[in-house]
Amino acid sequence: MSEWALSLHDLVKDFDGKRAVDHISFAVKRGEILGLLGPNGAGKTTTIRMVMDIIAPDAGRVEILGEGLSDKVKDRIGFLPEERGLYRKLKVMDTLLFFGELKGMKAAAVRERGRRLLQQFQLAGYEERKVEELSKGMAQKLQFITTILHDPELLILDEPFSGLDPLNIELIQGIILERKRAGTTIIYSTHLMEYAEKTVDSLVMIDQGRKVLDGTLATVKAEYGQKFIRLQYEGDARFVAGLPYVRSCRDSGREMEIELEDLTKREQLLRDLLGKVTINGFQLSEPSLQNIFIRKVQEGAGA
Amino acid sequence: MNKLFAVIKKEYKTIVKKKSFIIMTILTPVLMAGMMVVPVLLMKVDRSDKKIAVADYAGGYTQALSAVPAEKSEKKKGGLDMDAMNEMPVTAGRISFQQVELAGRDAAALLREYEQKVLKKEIDGLLLIPADVKSQRQVSYYSTSISDFTTLKFIESTLRTAISKQLLLEKQIDPSVVDEATREISMETFKVKKEGTTKSDSGMDYMMSIFMIIILFMILINYGQMIMRGVLEEKTSRISELLISSARSTHIFYGKLLGIGLAGLTQVALWILLAALLVSRFSGMVDAAILSFLTPEIAFYFVIFFILGFFIYAIPYAFIGAAVNTDQEAQQFASVLSVLIIVPYILGISALQNPNSTLTLVASLFPLFTPILMFMRITTAVPPLWQILASIGLCVLTIWGLAWLGAKIFRVGMLMYGKKPSLGEMLRWVRYK
Ligand SMILES: Nc1ncnc2c1ncn2[C@@H]1O[C@H](COP(=O)(O)OP(=O)(O)O)[C@@H](O)[C@H]1O
Ligand SMILES: [Mg+2]
Repeated sequence: MSEWALSLHDLVKDFDGKRAVDHISFAVKRGEILGLLGPNGAGKTTTIRMVMDIIAPDAGRVEILGEGLSDKVKDRIGFLPEERGLYRKLKVMDTLLFFGELKGMKAAAVRERGRRLLQQFQLAGYEERKVEELSKGMAQKLQFITTILHDPELLILDEPFSGLDPLNIELIQGIILERKRAGTTIIYSTHLMEYAEKTVDSLVMIDQGRKVLDGTLATVKAEYGQKFIRLQYEGDARFVAGLPYVRSCRDSGREMEIELEDLTKREQLLRDLLGKVTINGFQLSEPSLQNIFIRKVQEGAGA
Repeated sequence: MNKLFAVIKKEYKTIVKKKSFIIMTILTPVLMAGMMVVPVLLMKVDRSDKKIAVADYAGGYTQALSAVPAEKSEKKKGGLDMDAMNEMPVTAGRISFQQVELAGRDAAALLREYEQKVLKKEIDGLLLIPADVKSQRQVSYYSTSISDFTTLKFIESTLRTAISKQLLLEKQIDPSVVDEATREISMETFKVKKEGTTKSDSGMDYMMSIFMIIILFMILINYGQMIMRGVLEEKTSRISELLISSARSTHIFYGKLLGIGLAGLTQVALWILLAALLVSRFSGMVDAAILSFLTPEIAFYFVIFFILGFFIYAIPYAFIGAAVNTDQEAQQFASVLSVLIIVPYILGISALQNPNSTLTLVASLFPLFTPILMFMRITTAVPPLWQILASIGLCVLTIWGLAWLGAKIFRVGMLMYGKKPSLGEMLRWVRYK
């Protein structure tokens, strides 16, 4: 058994002459969580669709769980498409039965595991309701249940948090971690980098179809060093961006992420701030993924 | 294979559990029975006793009309439509003819008076027999309802006979010869079948044929559209992505066809069962012609041609569902397809009159028309066995080709959102396994 659950080799996809995915390669280790990050339109969904054999790549190849995507392999994968959809007229338990059996499960096993999952997702008692009678959030949860129902080895989730309220985002994040502990390999795409920061082991960043960065979360962050200061403040701190030893800063109104030329300048910064703003917090920090992404894209544009 | 069964099971259950399925299953045979019984009932109502005033300017005709027992002669006129029901044990109403006292009034004056009586329903009609009826052969009938063909025909033929008799008697011909010469004839119709010649009524057969074909036609369109809507739903709700990533597209496509087809077959089987039940329970009330029409053989062919027709039309309907993006587009294409189903139906009407013509033969061997046309031919004049087998063989071949192509188009179309795929892209998809 190879250590890779999934590997992509030079995938390319054009739509009407426009390149949506441009020679993307990466691999996912068994048992880890990989975040596929990038802004809207970066090519995440197109990449995932090629992995799932929903669209054919113009070039390149995918290896999944050690082979091509055969019927048998499909049974070992759980897929959550970006655009959610279930049969509106089908009842909840019938929905689980259909998708479970489609993944090669026995009806009895679907019932048993389905009940447990419905319980876990606070959907117990809805077994005989039609899907169209569920609220949007409930339907999303049901969709997530159909994805993990057959206890897949590999989970591929396209924007799993979109359209969910904070409570449900937490619920899904909890389930993702629980699956990981059980040994499942998980890939998820998101344009919301804050969420990825908390859960992924490694990440691939893409922009305009191209891979701009990949690696484990730790190496990516280490590469960008501890050159960041996180400042919580009150007042007008716009002058900070103009300071000669500040390379970049991201101001969110009451918190600012400041990148220094080098870390020895931090005392200078503190002196410059004193008296001009009220300082509520001042600490060394790792760069956020958001910041790394912006830097990476700017570097790419400059080069 | 398990995935194929999973799809079949889901499609089958979804349809069979629908309220509309249950309602249609029960209602159709009831409607069918209704359509056979209602004309009889209507006739019963129509057969209430009739009172007709006769203004007999020529003289002597009222007696001639009253002399013939109305209900007896009615029975002899075997025509199309309603008359077919005459063999039902219905007590025919009598027509009583009353001589109007002319008292020197002319026709116009009489008419004014009797129009009122007709409107007030004191009498059902006024028959005006002018003095020169013998030479002009022209009488007039005034009534609120002039669509009662049996009564009109009766008056017409009785008057003709009476005039003929009079003319012959005036020529000094022996009254017994005159009676013999003007005696009515009655005609019975027989249907020649392989299993033996049975007494039959062409009107009844015609009605039953049309009837069964309408049902066949309706379920073919109904189940075809059901597939179309199902495929479109999966496409627009993007369930297609889940399906394709879980199973082979051929399994999904064939599973869908088989599941919905089995649901249709279930419905047809239930209909046949219910029809058999109704006929055996009420056999006393049902026309012998219907009984001789609803043979197990007909039921067998109905099932065969339902199955063939289902696949021949359902696959193109599935194409449409996979190729379009909205309900409106789907309906537009579907109406084009419905026309294709109507063509054999229209051809069939002529086929009924002329079941053995070359056009009918060729058209019924054309696979798109076979299910309706060949079945229609079988219901009227059983064609040679080789023709039936050839048509079935051609259908099976066509279905085989359609199914192959269908699975490919299904795979391409299901995942094409928003825009039409380019031809090059299509080709790549069709080659893609
Ligand atoms: N079916 C399609 N037809 C044409 N263009 C498409 C199609 N799918 C995606 N694209 C284009 O490809 C690019 C990448 O889209 P997508 O993979 O959905 O991005 P992401 O999921 O990262 O937001 C976008 O510019 C999008 O407009
Ligand atoms: Mg996307």
